[in-house]
Amino acid sequence: MSALASRSWLAAAALFALFFLLPVAGLGLRALTDGDVASELRSGDSWRALRLSLVTATLATALAALLGTPLAYALARSGRAGSRLAAALIDLPIVLPPAAAGIALLTVFGRRGYLGGPLEELGVSLSFTTAAVVLAQLFVAGPYFVRSAYAGFRAADPRFEGVAYTLGLSRWRTFRSVTLPLVRPALAAGAVLCWARALGELGATLLFAGSLPGSTRTAPLAVLNAFESAAGLAGAVSISLLLVAVALAVMVALSRVTAPGGPYR
Amino acid sequence: MTLRADFGSRVGDFGLEVGIEAADELVVLYGPSGSGKTVTLRALAGLQRVDRGRIEIGGRVVVDVAAGVERPPQERRVGYVVQEPALFPHLDVRANVLVGVERSPEAHARYERLRAMLHIGGLDGRRPHQLSGGQSQRVALARALVRPTEALLLDEPFSALDEALREEMRGELLRLRRELRLPILFVTHDLREAHLLGDRIAVLDEGRVLQFDSRDEVFRRPRSRRVAELTGVRNILAGRVEGSRVVVRGLALALPADRRPPPGTGRVDVGVRAERCVLRRLDPDGALPENCFVAQVVEDLAFGNAHLLRLEPEAAGPSVLVEVASRPYEVLGVASARRWVVELPPADIQVMPPAGPEAVP
Repeated sequence: MSALASRSWLAAAALFALFFLLPVAGLGLRALTDGDVASELRSGDSWRALRLSLVTATLATALAALLGTPLAYALARSGRAGSRLAAALIDLPIVLPPAAAGIALLTVFGRRGYLGGPLEELGVSLSFTTAAVVLAQLFVAGPYFVRSAYAGFRAADPRFEGVAYTLGLSRWRTFRSVTLPLVRPALAAGAVLCWARALGELGATLLFAGSLPGSTRTAPLAVLNAFESAAGLAGAVSISLLLVAVALAVMVALSRVTAPGGPYR
Repeated sequence: MTLRADFGSRVGDFGLEVGIEAADELVVLYGPSGSGKTVTLRALAGLQRVDRGRIEIGGRVVVDVAAGVERPPQERRVGYVVQEPALFPHLDVRANVLVGVERSPEAHARYERLRAMLHIGGLDGRRPHQLSGGQSQRVALARALVRPTEALLLDEPFSALDEALREEMRGELLRLRRELRLPILFVTHDLREAHLLGDRIAVLDEGRVLQFDSRDEVFRRPRSRRVAELTGVRNILAGRVEGSRVVVRGLALALPADRRPPPGTGRVDVGVRAERCVLRRLDPDGALPENCFVAQVVEDLAFGNAHLLRLEPEAAGPSVLVEVASRPYEVLGVASARRWVVELPPADIQVMPPAGPEAVP
């Protein structure tokens, strides 16, 4: 490649990188220069929304890990039929638009939904509660965990398990002390992705859980609400800034665990 | 201790039918890739379903399909070592060896002995990625042997190592075999390795055991053309039995009395290893001795320690490959003359049932 060509290549790459970096920098700049943002940051609303987001996203991720790990393992070890089912299961919620996901959840778990109706009669109401937020996030973000875990189990050589069996390790012991540690990086990566996706979840939550301050108004919903309210851009910027800062901090802290090759290199 | 197995197993459209047994000896399962060696070991270890037959390890029946017995791998007491992946990457050496037997004082005591025996003292805290290939395999062996083991199953354990290390590990294994007193089944597709290690050799091809005999028997007396091909017999010639002799391209070869095929045999394949053929100087006046013919060198490949010569007959006799070690090659002065007498010694001629008509040129 000539020097000129490689320089224009570099310029194009730099432009595209700026496209991502500039908006984030814009958020920060706006916060520094706009006094309203600073005062919004000092108000409790932003922080309450952020706390709700952190709690629900973490719960959704924990549920995804708890239920998704056995599912991913079963799919990964079940041959060709399993891999086809896995592809469908994992990709469908990812390609489903979040708004449609919210409606889908309502049809099943809503007050008059197929399951929500009978539950309502038992006195259990899901929609428009914090539990609904977690369910919406689990539905939208859980597949990211399952996908990563599935890939991890697929990549974990089943001969490790065979060798472990000949060493006298039971199936459960083999899973716990051989297979699981082997796929830990994939599980961690999946959990981080799932958590990040859950943290940003908006559409499904809005339709299935609503935007009730304190119980279902997560940070992304608070951004939307502030943007449409008197606080306007200043309020939206302040919450967005908090979201970005928290997400970045967590991503950086976890990047060591989820690095390719994992903690065994 | 003994291992006795006679079973059938299917993997997809691959069918395996194996009969094999081993006492306190090293039995090599030798064959090309895809011949069923690995599946055989996996079936013995309990990692592959068996559809028919019986497997007995250390006097215990671990599989008897007719009686509905199929013990899981955890209860078979076999040490199973594969080339890759040898060790669990997330555990250090000590944890790898003692996984599952951490609380057994016997295992700890055995580990102390094995550490010395396998020269892996001082590696305890290392992670597998910090070990050399040879060290990994030693640790994998220790891990297999630290538990009560009735048979050792080794699936090409050294094939990922470089040649020098492989040589060293083979030596170690032979020493270990003397100390262990266990049936050891060793899978390889390497002919030299099979010859070096095997007390007995089972030659596998397409899921069948073609021959299971002592090493020398397999190498000197291949029972079929396919075994001869697989064990590196370079001269496989079409012949016809006539009386007590076998005629190959107009040359009537004498056979030892105990090796004569029954009368009326007709067409046969004749196998002679290249390194068993003898090259003699041409005596212009003398008559040709028995099993000899005059031939010309048409090709001479030097392999360092030996030369492989292709010789074409001048009159009667087959075209043959003859291997001459480099020292006799120089003493005879093979390079200086084209015409030689080739002798196919009677004791080194193996008469085998003929291959199908399409296989004979």
